[in-house]
Amino acid sequence: MAVASNTSPMIRKSESASQWWTRWLDPSERTLAVLLLLPAALLLSLIIVYPVVRLVWTSFQNLSLTSGVPAKFSGLENYALMLEDPIFWEATWNTVLITLITVPGALVFGLALALMANLPFKRKWPVRLSLLIPWALPLSFAGLIFAWFFHSEYGVVNDILRRVGISGIIWFNSAGWAFAAICLTIIWKTSSFMALIILAGLQTIPRSLYEAADVDGAGRLRQFFEITLPLLKPAIVVALIFRTITALQTFDIPFTMTRGGPGTSTSTLAMYIHQNTVDFLDLGYGSALAVVMFAISMCVTTVYLRMIRTKG
Amino acid sequence: MASTMSERPPFLTGTPLRVLVGLVLVVNGMFPALWILFTSLKAENELMLKPITWLPHAPTLANYLRAFTDQPLLLFLFNSFMVAILSTALTLFISVLAAYALARLHIRGRDLILSAIIAVSTFPLVTLLVPLFEIMRTLGLLNTWTSLVLPYTVLSLPVCTLILVSFFEGIPRDLENSAMIDGCTRLGALFKIVVPLSAPGVFTAGILAFVNSWDEFLLALSFNSNPQLRTLPVGITLYQGEFAFPWPVISAALVVGIVPVAVLIVIFQERVVSGLTSGGIKG
Repeated sequence: MAVASNTSPMIRKSESASQWWTRWLDPSERTLAVLLLLPAALLLSLIIVYPVVRLVWTSFQNLSLTSGVPAKFSGLENYALMLEDPIFWEATWNTVLITLITVPGALVFGLALALMANLPFKRKWPVRLSLLIPWALPLSFAGLIFAWFFHSEYGVVNDILRRVGISGIIWFNSAGWAFAAICLTIIWKTSSFMALIILAGLQTIPRSLYEAADVDGAGRLRQFFEITLPLLKPAIVVALIFRTITALQTFDIPFTMTRGGPGTSTSTLAMYIHQNTVDFLDLGYGSALAVVMFAISMCVTTVYLRMIRTKG
Repeated sequence: MASTMSERPPFLTGTPLRVLVGLVLVVNGMFPALWILFTSLKAENELMLKPITWLPHAPTLANYLRAFTDQPLLLFLFNSFMVAILSTALTLFISVLAAYALARLHIRGRDLILSAIIAVSTFPLVTLLVPLFEIMRTLGLLNTWTSLVLPYTVLSLPVCTLILVSFFEGIPRDLENSAMIDGCTRLGALFKIVVPLSAPGVFTAGILAFVNSWDEFLLALSFNSNPQLRTLPVGITLYQGEFAFPWPVISAALVVGIVPVAVLIVIFQERVVSGLTSGGIKG
């Protein structure tokens, strides 16, 4: 203090400025934590929190950009409309069906891929790349490629079928075949991610367990069901839940393969939300649809968080 | 140990069988991409042959020429690159800061924040189409890169933060402390010590963020109606021929779109696998 009173005001000023600087550059731990988390918090507020509030609010409104009428509070009208909308039910049913078919499908197929990839190959990279390329391929690209695969005249699938004596499936003209093509594509595209997760799980299982089982005389099949599968469970659960949540949002593959056709027979909830929002500009109804989807996803996420907690 | 190993009866370890299994894996993973490559190299009249040919008889690059001249494919590529690079940079910056706070500083409610991050990672961005559309419209961001960079950053933020938290936790605190004794500030220590030492983690997170952005379709389709601002997936999907879907050109464009990510994956395959399996999200 005595020193400070001896120095000129000029120097004192610059000293406090430099103190301010160091305090700003080296704040207390708590301030620093807040500062460091701030950008993430701001971005999440803008892109998630505020939009969620706004979504729920808009879902109670009659808001169509094509009508030119300003937004009007309409209570549950959008939801009532939804219950009587056959396309909503069709799209929701398709979404649920896609989830129920492709999630177990990708699990079984992915498990098979992982077990194969876990064999002691001399070179690891071709196998690794074969699992990574389908994962990295954009969903929309996978949709386009498989649409070409299933092309009724020039597609490779019909070419192979013709060789074994089955001819003339016109995949995208019937709801059933189109739906099958979409599900097969989704299973192919998503199983490699499953396989990667399961493979990582497989590699953590200690070899000694199998050796002990050999000594006890347990067969391969028994070892698989009593050692491999139980120890893989945590990896499988995580992979299944992520896959379920993404399956509920299915959009890219049906959009690029069929645009929801023939008719609306292969459209999903996400596609119907997109159509109402971007094509029809009916923001109120689009929001109500999204709230339903949001509720379904939230349930799955809650289950997921609970499972992680009990696991940890 | 060695004796027990040799007593273990071989299971699919015979070379021919193993090669067969490897072949099944490779065909499953590579065939679609290879098939589209073959298609792209066929002349249009060869594509109309029935029964179809498998390998191209007279490989030609004509479809590639048309892919770049019929549609602004180069522009789509540029848009995809810029959006992916900008969102990757933003994601890394924000998640490095957040991960450091979570890994090193004493924060009340740390577990709650981590749970929230996992919840965000499963958040269906599709459901926010309407409000995000309105926000972008209000801010005048429709038909800009920014309208995609911001949501893509959110898309990758959780997985990148989780990967970085686990990397930062593995770096000895002593290194940081001694740097701080030498007069480095805490933030200085973060960027001069912690981030460089976590380079593999930062890199892994960056690749995942890049691939996430490169792949995204729905928001890109919804926010940027101007053809000049289309990203690659949207641009290619909306290619329209005069009468039918122009498959020869589409296949060439798809190959162009697959190559950059394939190169990234080939070079950094081990990083990508470790990143995916430590906090992977996408299906």
